Amino acid sequence: MEGLTHSDITNIFIQISLMLLAARVFAELARKLKQPAVIGEITVGIILGPSLFGLLFPDAFASIFPSSGGSSIVLDGLVQISVVLLLFIAGLEVELNVVWNQGRKALMIAFFSVFVPLLIGFVVAISFPSILGLSSDLPFVYALFFGLSISITGLAVLARILMDLEMFKTNNGLLMIAAAMIIDVLAWIIFSIILSIKGDSPEGMGVVLTIGLTLGFTFLMLTVGKTIINRVLPWINQKMAWPGGLLSISLSLCFLAGAFTEYIGIHATFGAFVIGVALGDSEHMTEKAKEILHQFINNIFAPLFFISIGIKINFIAEFNLTIVAIVVLLGFTTKVVGSYIGSKFSGINTNNSLIIGFGLNSRGSVDIVLALIALESGLISEEIFIGLVIMALLSSIASGSIMKMIYKRTQSIIAK
Amino acid sequence: MFQKIALAIAFSPRMEALMCETKRFARLFNAEVIFIHIGERIEEEEIELNRIFEKNGFDLSKITVIWEDGNPSKKIISICKRENVDLLVTGALKKETFFKYHFSSIARKMMRRSDVSLMVLIDPKINPKPFHNIVINGTDDPKTAEIIKKGIALANLEKAKLVHILNEIQLLGLRMSMAGEDIASKVEDTRRRLIQDEVEKIENILSEIDKEDLKINIKIVSGKPGYEISRFTERAKADLLVLRAPNHKLSLFDRFFPHDLEFILNDLPTNLLILQAN
Repeated sequence: MEGLTHSDITNIFIQISLMLLAARVFAELARKLKQPAVIGEITVGIILGPSLFGLLFPDAFASIFPSSGGSSIVLDGLVQISVVLLLFIAGLEVELNVVWNQGRKALMIAFFSVFVPLLIGFVVAISFPSILGLSSDLPFVYALFFGLSISITGLAVLARILMDLEMFKTNNGLLMIAAAMIIDVLAWIIFSIILSIKGDSPEGMGVVLTIGLTLGFTFLMLTVGKTIINRVLPWINQKMAWPGGLLSISLSLCFLAGAFTEYIGIHATFGAFVIGVALGDSEHMTEKAKEILHQFINNIFAPLFFISIGIKINFIAEFNLTIVAIVVLLGFTTKVVGSYIGSKFSGINTNNSLIIGFGLNSRGSVDIVLALIALESGLISEEIFIGLVIMALLSSIASGSIMKMIYKRTQSIIAK
Repeated sequence: MFQKIALAIAFSPRMEALMCETKRFARLFNAEVIFIHIGERIEEEEIELNRIFEKNGFDLSKITVIWEDGNPSKKIISICKRENVDLLVTGALKKETFFKYHFSSIARKMMRRSDVSLMVLIDPKINPKPFHNIVINGTDDPKTAEIIKKGIALANLEKAKLVHILNEIQLLGLRMSMAGEDIASKVEDTRRRLIQDEVEKIENILSEIDKEDLKINIKIVSGKPGYEISRFTERAKADLLVLRAPNHKLSLFDRFFPHDLEFILNDLPTNLLILQAN
């Protein structure tokens, strides 16, 4: 049986050590600049990857991050695990009771925030596939994904911005959080259906069956699954070591659900996300446990994933200004306008609707995972992927500042 | 606080105790009392009822008993509205079987759908005692100040020994994990500030209320509010939980994706006072 060589193992540890260290340094720099850590982590990935380090020191890059061999496979595996865990905590963040409490307004905002960019993105992509470099064999599916990719909100980034602006517990803050939660759920269900249509399911499992299994799995997990979780968690909390027992069982369930959705031809992340929602919504999943899971995944696995993007993709060689400009402009305008329209229809005034529009334009977490899966599934080209990453970075940086500006203006008007 | 109290009666082993509890409330609030019985008016039952009234010192000439047929929970609520009742007293089991909890418990149906404030007693006594250890739900809501005010007024009347006011920090896990991007001292600052903000909200409300000599404990929880309130009430061994009635009539949907009140109804931690806000 073939195993890892001594040099493979050494290399793996060097890779992980270098990635974690670099991620920490750049996350700290981002923090100093009052930006989310993810911005530093993606940036350092680009620096460490073929775009810069590989360009200047090709031999050193090839020896630390070889494109084939044992260490490359292990790193790929580790990144896959990181992606699944990242989506698991994205699911944990969704709190259905917060969504219900915000009610119709949150639903309305989420609907327009997703469907305006989705629709416009779809129309643009299907009308100009060659400009966007989309494949022509399944134009409907590719165009649909393009629309979806610009319609997502980064819940974690939004939460951070709202906390910095001390808006988290305001009516608008909770409304945005609830809308972002709905957007997450909607986006992943739509994405899993896109993957089903694209047809990566095992032989003999048709599109209809895959979609049926996907929706059935989601429904079962959020009803029966949640009931079982509610029965089992108190027992785990009482009888097992805490938080060890809870963490082991939660992660075990996360990987099991991931294995199931991977088997039926949708990415493992979908299963992890749905089980995250079911677990996170349980009253027995304490906030402390969520915090521990967040810290553990956000500080170890998330950096590995975000850095790996820059290491895989050459952001300079594959950079296409036209595509980046279209993606960024389309992403920004449709998302802000869609969320703004939703807010106005919900009866929210113009300034607050603008704040919500820019708030929901924050990206930089789940959307990048989704884009990477799409890239790996052949749904998008590297050029579009780069456009989506740049859009995520720019919108994360811009949203906070623009929201702050409008918020201050609103406050000064109220004060007068 | 309440001008007209109603007791929904059924010929159960706890009926007499519920009558005695209602009599105490009537004296406490200086309120008028009516009794509601849903079902056919049978002479033997009427005689039995009068016997219990007399035994417990009720003045028969001042008692109104309304006998009507219909769907018990809906009928009781509609009679209360018609008669301008502002507090309905009812008994309830601490925990129901799955089927009764979801579909057939009259008390739980009233708790989910009543437009009138409800006093729900899980262990009524023939010799009732005042509530001494009261928990008030002070979680963020536009009507919280009113609920706290009414809860404190009741605690004053009862000369309660201890009142706990609970507030919650929403999405603490998410907020702390985002705050976790900062240095340790800032993370702790954030945690402290989150708690302090919630304490201050309650203190601000309390500053405008006459608390007499009440001993008040402000407690901040995180997690699912309904579940945490229920757990705290049990831990504190409180004899009354005061909370606000839901904004809407709860449906089956609110049981599958539980509304805060459903966490409490699932296993009543103590007696409840579900208040309608103005």
